[in-house]
Amino acid sequence: MNPSNPPQAAEYGGDEVSAIVLDPGYSTTRAGFAGEDAPKSVIPTYYGKYNYEGKERLVFGDNMFVQPRAGISVHNPIGKDGIVEDWDMAEKVWEYSFASRLTATKPDNPFHNGLNDISSEELPAEMEVETDEKPLADTPLLMSEPGWNPAKAREKTIEIAMEKWGTPAFYLARNGVLAAFASGKASALVIDIGASNISVTPVHDGMILKRGVQHSPLGGDYISSQIRALFKKNSPQPITITPHYLISSKTAVEAGQPPQANYRTFPADRAPDASYRALQEERTLAEFKECVVQTWPGPNKLSGPGPRESQTKNSLAARRAVFGVDRFRVVESLFDVKAAIPDPDSPVPAPTQAQTLPEVIKASLAGVDVDIRPHLLSNVVVTGASSLVYGFTERLNQELMTLFPGPRVRVSAPGNTSERRFGSWIGGSILASLGTFHQMWISKKEYEEHGANIVEKRCK
Amino acid sequence: MAAAADVRDMLDLPAESQPRPHKKQKVVEKRPEGITRELYALLGERAPPIAINENKYKGRPKLLNKLRVRQWRMSPFANGARSDGLVLNHWQRKHEGARQPAPEGTQMDVDVDGTKEEGKEDTKPLEQEYTFAKYNVKAQLPRRYTDDEYSRHLRNNEWTREETDYLMDLVAEYDLRWVLIADRYEYQPRMDSEPEGNAIVPAKTVRTMEHMKARYYFIAATMLAIEHPPSEMSEAEFEWHEKMLKFDPNRERDRKELAALQLNRTADEVREEAMLLEELKRITSNEQSFISERRELYSRLEVPVSVGNTAMYQSSQGLSQLLQTLLQADKSKKRRSILGPDGAVASPAAGQTPTQAGGPVSRGDTPSANAAASATNNNNKKGPAVPPTLPVVRQLTAAEESRYGIQHHERVTAGVQFRSDRAQKLTQAKSNVQTQKLAGALAELEIPVRLFMPTERVCKDFEKLIQSVNVLLEARKVSEKVESEIRVLEASRAERERKAREAAGETTAADPENPEVKTEAEDGTGVLGSTAEAAGSGGEKGEGGDGENAEEAAKDDGNHKRSASVLSAVSDKSNKRQRR
Repeated sequence: MNPSNPPQAAEYGGDEVSAIVLDPGYSTTRAGFAGEDAPKSVIPTYYGKYNYEGKERLVFGDNMFVQPRAGISVHNPIGKDGIVEDWDMAEKVWEYSFASRLTATKPDNPFHNGLNDISSEELPAEMEVETDEKPLADTPLLMSEPGWNPAKAREKTIEIAMEKWGTPAFYLARNGVLAAFASGKASALVIDIGASNISVTPVHDGMILKRGVQHSPLGGDYISSQIRALFKKNSPQPITITPHYLISSKTAVEAGQPPQANYRTFPADRAPDASYRALQEERTLAEFKECVVQTWPGPNKLSGPGPRESQTKNSLAARRAVFGVDRFRVVESLFDVKAAIPDPDSPVPAPTQAQTLPEVIKASLAGVDVDIRPHLLSNVVVTGASSLVYGFTERLNQELMTLFPGPRVRVSAPGNTSERRFGSWIGGSILASLGTFHQMWISKKEYEEHGANIVEKRCK
Repeated sequence: MAAAADVRDMLDLPAESQPRPHKKQKVVEKRPEGITRELYALLGERAPPIAINENKYKGRPKLLNKLRVRQWRMSPFANGARSDGLVLNHWQRKHEGARQPAPEGTQMDVDVDGTKEEGKEDTKPLEQEYTFAKYNVKAQLPRRYTDDEYSRHLRNNEWTREETDYLMDLVAEYDLRWVLIADRYEYQPRMDSEPEGNAIVPAKTVRTMEHMKARYYFIAATMLAIEHPPSEMSEAEFEWHEKMLKFDPNRERDRKELAALQLNRTADEVREEAMLLEELKRITSNEQSFISERRELYSRLEVPVSVGNTAMYQSSQGLSQLLQTLLQADKSKKRRSILGPDGAVASPAAGQTPTQAGGPVSRGDTPSANAAASATNNNNKKGPAVPPTLPVVRQLTAAEESRYGIQHHERVTAGVQFRSDRAQKLTQAKSNVQTQKLAGALAELEIPVRLFMPTERVCKDFEKLIQSVNVLLEARKVSEKVESEIRVLEASRAERERKAREAAGETTAADPENPEVKTEAEDGTGVLGSTAEAAGSGGEKGEGGDGENAEEAAKDDGNHKRSASVLSAVSDKSNKRQRR
């Protein structure tokens, strides 16, 4: 094929309008240009807050992890159920996600760059108007939201996009729908295993079925809490998690031996907040999840035979430990509530049977018409970073087969890690670059005419 | 490779210890591109492990270089499917006819209001129809009812006007996707409109998809009927109308319940069903093979339909003909069975036809064809006049057949044999004594042992004669035997009478053996008497029929041979009794 020829428009139905796709989540916020295969900007949704010279300062993105500033505390604008709680900070975090990487840095205002300094009283008034340029003044914006996002939150979102960012066109899509699009399906049962939530979204013809949307808090953070409980129970002595920033040097030790490392200590007045340490520990646990944690493949109960082959892990504060069957146990309670490791001190409440994944799926399917249930079961889409736990999809398939022995069950989960992590962003990228989609945008004009309520009418 | 050697010299490297294989020199010829010959020669025999040719930018193909660079521009466009005139930018190839591109800054402008400051440059693409606008299609929905129409046709106790409107709006919004409509259906009756009504009858009743469908279909059908009365409807419209009118929500609900049952089967039920399906598959496949086998069987037994009329069989001539054909068919069947299944399979239809119908078709069979052939052979004079075609054969009567010497053999033996030989064979009996007796009888009749003129008829008569002679001889034998028996019995009776007379004065006590003997004798006489009678009647009967047969036989044959044969049969019986 001659590369100087553009692909025929009809071949893929694409028509790029250089839109930005923003997929905010509890743990990370993804942003990038539509038409690309991965988000260019992936930042943590957490932000840091600290005092410096008497003024409160904020730190966004990965910058937070670079330096443990004195008294830095970590917050998340999004609540545990995935709905935004702190709108001001959510707006700032989201803006940071695209403004830091995507929207071109505009040249400084010549009046402010120091080259044309003139006394402030001479500043012409009309020039002031030009200075508050909106960050998205020339890019349409597609945002995603969870399926159970309340109408108020949706209206608030479009308000921010239109008024604060000045986007010419906006659309709010459900992340379940987008994840289905990312796997090329218009109808699917999307199972999203996120950080704070697992959600099951039935999608029919590119629209969610509201009565079938279910979510439960047994996400990646819950798995972390289970790991913490496991460490606490460890014998002969509990394992403590030491995040990387507290270790200045370490030497490798044999498994089971006490760690040999030099720790950094911070004086009380310069130490970061406990929430900062918790977030850093979470990063360590994420590594643990990636390397050690595994889903019991079934079909028998986990509480059966003795320990399997062991794996070692050495990044827990220069510690090396051997984990046998325990590495299955931490995920098992996603499927079987009886396998949960009890931890009365944990802030995470113990799960109930109704919150386990099979029950959630069952409840979700009960909420949709019986005629489309078999079709949904044969189009199960798994997305979300926590679904990358080793052996998860196989187990899920197993569970679905036992739940529904009759109809054909087909779980489609992209093997590519980034496709799994950014499933809904990729779907948004596809959607926003479709030529047929451009009639769906809510334009600024429509917003001004109808008000924020239009998002309820248009983004169904 | 002088250069390599030079280098070795210069670097004080030892000379090549072993001469390089000759083959390798040939291979070396290929020189990668982008390296001069001299430099390449310096490399020696061992090529470096890294690629030494740089990847050069190849540039555009020469042909394309001659073309002008086609420009792409970020150009605004409006979407015809939108009503608000949103203008977005996308990259588009610059049209050849277009004038100088507008300055960069203006192109990036997003013109929300649709007013354009740049002028004609950008209006041009805007006027084009947007490619994807054509995909903006809506489902075809019935016309909305007016207030009048609603009150006249569409009133329903279960549905308020407002809820109906809400339903119709949803239907239009979701393009008749009922799954979505049912999912999003959240009708809340307005509290202020009917304050007294909704206290009792609020829309707490959950509308199921079937309810909504029933309502919608009713409305759609009614609107269709208002638009076109059923008499004026086109066929498709009428069908549609009927379908919508016949929608039964209860049935649909039942169906869904069944579907849910089917979906929520347990693993055991699924397994059982799979097993049953497997069984069913097996049964059907068995049945298939059974049917095909049976069909094959039927095709073998196929009964051809008789087409000819039966009139031709009503005369005696026709009947005899039928008999002939049946016989032949029988013969042919027998022969085929001897031939084995192969022969039968080869011409099943031809084999079956004569047995069943014996109709005109049957004459096509081989035996009759043979007969026809023999007819032509036997009768050379008539040969050309009687072509061996079927209708001619059929017309031959019995008289004609005998005239032409046509014969039908029970079994045609292989090979050629003389008729006289066959006649000769008859004179040879099993035992020599018998043969001599036969010869004696023939001599007595003045018939030569070897026939002078062994025509068909003569042979037949000779055969009969020999048979009669045989019968006679047999009869003579039997009669001799009987006579001797009679003599013995008479002698024994005389003996007994003599004894009885002697013992008349003495005791009357009977000898235990006597009654037995007596009964034996009575039995024998009784049988003899009856046989004599039978012989008499048989003889009388036989006389009429056989008279002419015996022209060459003895004059007194008629009675005797018959009675003799009967006698022999009966005497056999009596012999048996005696033996018992």
